[in-house]
Amino acid sequence: MSPNRKPKDTLVHLREESVRRIVESEKAVERSFHEGRLLASLAVGLLLVGFLLIAQWRGNQTLTRELDRQSDQDLAVMIQDMTTENAGLRDEVMRLQVRIIDAERSTKDTSDVLNEAAEELHALKLTAGFEAAEGPGCRVRIEDPEHVLLAQDFVALVHELRGGGAEAIAVNGRRVTATTGFSEGDGWVFMGGTALNSGYLVEAIGDPASLDQALTMPGGLQSRFATFPGVTTEIRRAETVSVAAAVDAGMVYGRPVEGE
Amino acid sequence: MLVLALALALGVTLGLLTSITVPVALLTYLGVAVLAAIDSCLGGMRAALEQTFDDKAFVFGFFTNTLMAAFIVFIGDRIGVRELYLAAVVAFGMRVFDNLGQVRRGLFQRWGWER
Repeated sequence: MSPNRKPKDTLVHLREESVRRIVESEKAVERSFHEGRLLASLAVGLLLVGFLLIAQWRGNQTLTRELDRQSDQDLAVMIQDMTTENAGLRDEVMRLQVRIIDAERSTKDTSDVLNEAAEELHALKLTAGFEAAEGPGCRVRIEDPEHVLLAQDFVALVHELRGGGAEAIAVNGRRVTATTGFSEGDGWVFMGGTALNSGYLVEAIGDPASLDQALTMPGGLQSRFATFPGVTTEIRRAETVSVAAAVDAGMVYGRPVEGE
Repeated sequence: MLVLALALALGVTLGLLTSITVPVALLTYLGVAVLAAIDSCLGGMRAALEQTFDDKAFVFGFFTNTLMAAFIVFIGDRIGVRELYLAAVVAFGMRVFDNLGQVRRGLFQRWGWER
């Protein structure tokens, strides 16, 4: 606008100016109104979003505990996985059970073998005289105050008893074993290197009648002993005779043969 | 901006206070609906920043978007195309990211952080 305009122009200008201002203020009102509506609608929208978000959040927490809403394919995959895992576990259970059975069998085998071995060892020790034994048998009491009996008489006595089926023999409470030997010296009879006191007591386990008979048969040991001066032999059958175990001396020279 | 943040916070608080639980059967629908609502709000903010916001369009768009999203998933369920919700999720997700980017740019421009 030129500085020297006419009054008419000024009037026109003023009118225009006022119109412009009105329009602008209306526009401003409209803009602020528009702005307010914008804010209000957006705010409502966001409020709803927040609300729904929380609702969904909550629901989803329960969903994780539910399988209902899983898709069929997901469920199928899950089932497939579980089936595979189940089969694997089943296999493992089977393998472990087989192992248990194997282990049980092997321990059973071992214990059986051990039991058998122990029984065998027991029987062998019993026979060999390294185990105390008890059973029916005979007691032979021999008095020899003049010490006329010799080692060979005891050997004969033991031999006769064994002939009569004696399973275990003890002289003066000492067990007669496979390695027991009799010897004599200075009027004493030694059994396994130890002197036997007179007033001998020979105990034998076996069938009492057979043992008795083995000694008392005509021409047997008893009749022979009777010819020795001062020797008296008394044979008694007994319901229970107990013989002690021999002291295991062990072998000094002998060694087990390899591969036997 | 403060008003909008407060509105969101108010919505969350309301949701927490009312302890509303959505039936499990409606969860997928509501999920997609929420996604659509978020998309609408971001779109509205973007429009506001670009000076093209129209409140009627926004409100109308908000509800139609939300309901249509849920409806599409529902239809998919009914016709045996359950995976349709995936399409909705992908579509809305992409739009959400797009709008988010635009809103961010608009805000940054307004604050003078960007050209």
